[in-house]
Amino acid sequence: MNEGKKMRVLMAKPGLDGHERGAHVVAHGLRDAGFEVIYTGLRQTTAQIVNTAVQEDVDVVGLSILSGAHLSLSQKVIDGLKNAGAEDVMVIIGGIVPDEDIPSLKKMGVREVFTAGTPVSEIANFITRST
Amino acid sequence: MSDNKKRLKNIEYAEAEWKKNVLDKRVGRFNLSKSPTRFYSPLAVSNFNFLEKVGFPGQYPFTAGNNPFDYWRAYAEDAAKMGYRPDWGAASGVGKYGGFGTAEDYRDYLIRMHSMGRTGGPNMAFDLATQCGYDSDSPYAEGEVGRVGVAIDAFNDFATIYEPYTGDLEIDRVPSNFTINAPAAIIIAMYAVLAEKRGIPLEKLRGTPQNDILKEYIARGTYIYPPKHSLRLFRDICVFCTQHMPKLNINSMGGYHIREAGATRVQDLAFSMSNATAYIQAGIDGGLAVDSFAPKFTFNAFGGSMEIYQEIALQRAARRIYARLLKERFNAENPRSMMIRQPITAHIGCSSTTLQRTLNNLTRAVVGGMAAGMSGGMPGVFPPFDEPLGLGHSQEAVQLQLDATRILIYEAKVADVNDPWAGSYFMESLTDEIEAKSLAEMEKIENMGGAVAAIESGYMQKAISKSAYERQKRIESQEEFVVGVNCFTGENEMDVNVNRVVEATYDPELLKSAEDRQKRKLAELKRQRDGKAVSSTLAALKEHARDENKNLMPDICECVRNNASLQEICDVLRDIFGEFQQARF
Amino acid sequence: MKITKTVENSWQSLVDGVQAGNIRAMARLITQVENREPGWKDAMKAIYPHTGSARILGITGSPGAGKSTLTCEIADELVKRGHQIGIIAVDPSSPFSGGALLGDRLRMKKIFTLKEVFIRSMATRGTLGGMSQAARDVARIMDAFGKDVILIETVGVGQDEIEVVKTADRVMMVCIPGQGDNIQALKAGVMEIADLYVVNKADMPGADEVMADIYAMLELSSEAGQPTPPVLKTSALKNQGIRELVATLMADSTESNRHDDKEEMRIKEEIFSLVEDEVLRFLRRRWEENGEIAEAARQMIEQKKDPYSIVAELLNQFI
Repeated sequence: MNEGKKMRVLMAKPGLDGHERGAHVVAHGLRDAGFEVIYTGLRQTTAQIVNTAVQEDVDVVGLSILSGAHLSLSQKVIDGLKNAGAEDVMVIIGGIVPDEDIPSLKKMGVREVFTAGTPVSEIANFITRST
Repeated sequence: MSDNKKRLKNIEYAEAEWKKNVLDKRVGRFNLSKSPTRFYSPLAVSNFNFLEKVGFPGQYPFTAGNNPFDYWRAYAEDAAKMGYRPDWGAASGVGKYGGFGTAEDYRDYLIRMHSMGRTGGPNMAFDLATQCGYDSDSPYAEGEVGRVGVAIDAFNDFATIYEPYTGDLEIDRVPSNFTINAPAAIIIAMYAVLAEKRGIPLEKLRGTPQNDILKEYIARGTYIYPPKHSLRLFRDICVFCTQHMPKLNINSMGGYHIREAGATRVQDLAFSMSNATAYIQAGIDGGLAVDSFAPKFTFNAFGGSMEIYQEIALQRAARRIYARLLKERFNAENPRSMMIRQPITAHIGCSSTTLQRTLNNLTRAVVGGMAAGMSGGMPGVFPPFDEPLGLGHSQEAVQLQLDATRILIYEAKVADVNDPWAGSYFMESLTDEIEAKSLAEMEKIENMGGAVAAIESGYMQKAISKSAYERQKRIESQEEFVVGVNCFTGENEMDVNVNRVVEATYDPELLKSAEDRQKRKLAELKRQRDGKAVSSTLAALKEHARDENKNLMPDICECVRNNASLQEICDVLRDIFGEFQQARF
Repeated sequence: MKITKTVENSWQSLVDGVQAGNIRAMARLITQVENREPGWKDAMKAIYPHTGSARILGITGSPGAGKSTLTCEIADELVKRGHQIGIIAVDPSSPFSGGALLGDRLRMKKIFTLKEVFIRSMATRGTLGGMSQAARDVARIMDAFGKDVILIETVGVGQDEIEVVKTADRVMMVCIPGQGDNIQALKAGVMEIADLYVVNKADMPGADEVMADIYAMLELSSEAGQPTPPVLKTSALKNQGIRELVATLMADSTESNRHDDKEEMRIKEEIFSLVEDEVLRFLRRRWEENGEIAEAARQMIEQKKDPYSIVAELLNQFI
């Protein structure tokens, strides 16, 4: 890794779900772990998320979803990244995700799912390890 | 020197002696850097005035409780003997609060629930598109239709849900709840129009809309317009309801959501009270006398941690602050104006539950129930232990939750004494402390220009975001302990798995097709309705929205009557009011 | 586990991609240049001949002045006028962790998906001169891509931010009502860098007072006979005054000779900044490798020498 290299992460809230606590906590935590975190706020369409990921050349897109719409939203982000030639961007998910949905998410290309109670340090370590 | 001063001096002297001869020696023996002992003597509340600070239950300042006894205590014995199954403490009791899919799906579900013994009117959850003022055919609604609640695009959807509510279930007989905020005016208008069409006088309607938009900016995110315009809509609702639907509660404010979004206890109380202040002022600005509407204000639960003493003190402090606010600042005279009326009182909050060794959440929720029972509420145990699994609650978890509440009531007799901590040196000083800190924070917000200004500048949002992050850091650094999460996680511990049968609350196939069906229904409505009437009523609404002094409820009712869609109404107001954008955090 | 990159990562192919209008190539090249990855200077040399046609506007002002919203509205208006926009949004890095929270996009949702707009958030990364140079380089890459107006927005008015906006052709200072004291405080060294003043949130009470404060300040600091910079009112949230502002910004930027002195100063500053960077890098490597710096440190620890003599001796070999 180059000395000047900084890991860049996009924290995004797709859809209309307005619970921001988790996204805020993780964004702050990753900043304090030395990451550059781009936060775009609530109600992002998947097209907006993909555009941002490409323009900001992020290494990771973190989706925070608590509305139960994780399957369709993740699929759209992953497809969008692929269409933009950015399928190398790692997608991870946080929020409320039932155990039984995790295999489907991983199959569509989500690298990891972090549910409630995950320490932010664990997320930071995972990103560092996987990129 | 008075007798009391002499008495306190003696205690002070005795305390110094105790520290020297007993405490310090022991601290030295264990080689500790500071003493873990916390003990409260009369010195902690040296100026304690019982009538001023506590009073009798059901009397100002309501520290000891709103009532000499709550309604449920009146029939508690009968309930046990007759096998009646009240869903005490369970906001999520069998099919109580919910909603999914299209209006037809939800209607059929309610019919099924009523055949299984459900009582009362609908307690509606709306999907996120509806909550944010979008119709099902909006691009923003994609993937959201009918997901976390029912989709309402226009009056015909609302009317569909109420098809089974006739006869004994007629809307002048059963109350309805609407968990709706930004488009609350529209949903209330739909309720009014429904009554009108059924020939039921509006003044007979009962129920509670959540209608607490200010906390949406702070905690839940389903806002539409900038806060000051939202407050104007609140004023219009408040005036309309007071004049035409006096039995309907006006709102269900604060507390719970703000706490769950990360606020500390003091922030939660102060922000909720500041919001309440803004709502009361809005009613007064609308030309109402405070006692004409304040009795119809309600709160959802304050609370949300495992710290039992602090949660008890919070309830007591909250009641005292609100009572004083209404009486001293707003000159209310009716005691009902001064009460915090909330369906659940103290509880641990869903964010206290853990995914790890899930059954521990039952133990945790019991602590919340005890806090409730010891602070003037029903000892309701909440939430069910499987809350963090995110699948809806299993019947088993709900059964254990109900039983836990019953055990606290009948076996532990937790609620047999009103405000059992009254007069405790510790509890009174803790109550004073929480009250003082909250009042200081409220004053800070007041100096910023009140709740609306503090939301516009992002102050409240940033404050709770910071608190949430600080708590997370304390947990990760083991300054705070969560059993099974950041301590006692070694290999000597055992995972406890509980078998549970989760009935799929809602049919997954219906959920899948809801979006398409809902869109078709909306398209059909738009084809059949009188387009000219829609345009002209929307135009009237737009015209009146520009005039801040105008009450928009009659126009919104007119739009609803003419089958304007929810988003069409919201879009008109978006045009005039603009849309809210969060400040940077 | 390494992830494979779908754009070819060599600087040459990224430079080609930028010229061919490949957004992902531009984004990746910006990363490489910002990180000072090997080859960055060659890339910039290749980019440079294709630059020079873009107008670069610096937007600064204290936090809470509504700069992001204003930037968004300006960009939206410029797009309507047929321009291609690049936005560089600068936020401070945490001095403790080196990480950063880049939140400017929160107020720019309206333009996220416009194909004419490219937004890049940058953290200051703790080096003052370095950041200005990096912003300059990123603006050049956007320029070479075909963006003809580039907006550089900073979060506050600290020294870092001022250095950054000074790299722009024109600097706009955003003020808001209720900021009278701030304007007084800003006077020294900050206010005079601006070519244009905007009173944003002008629908709030106190707007006229801020206008008066600005005029008073300009009166004091400008030389007799010189035209004073324009002062405009806007309300970004209500989209008021934006068209006039953009018209002024663009009109001003066509009068090129008025700023000849500034231009020369900027070029000198850039050369110094690049030299400083190179020299420091060179000395660091050399003295770490030959042990001279370690030896110097040892002598200071043992209190045999003072730092001033040490520096004089170290530099003696070059000067």
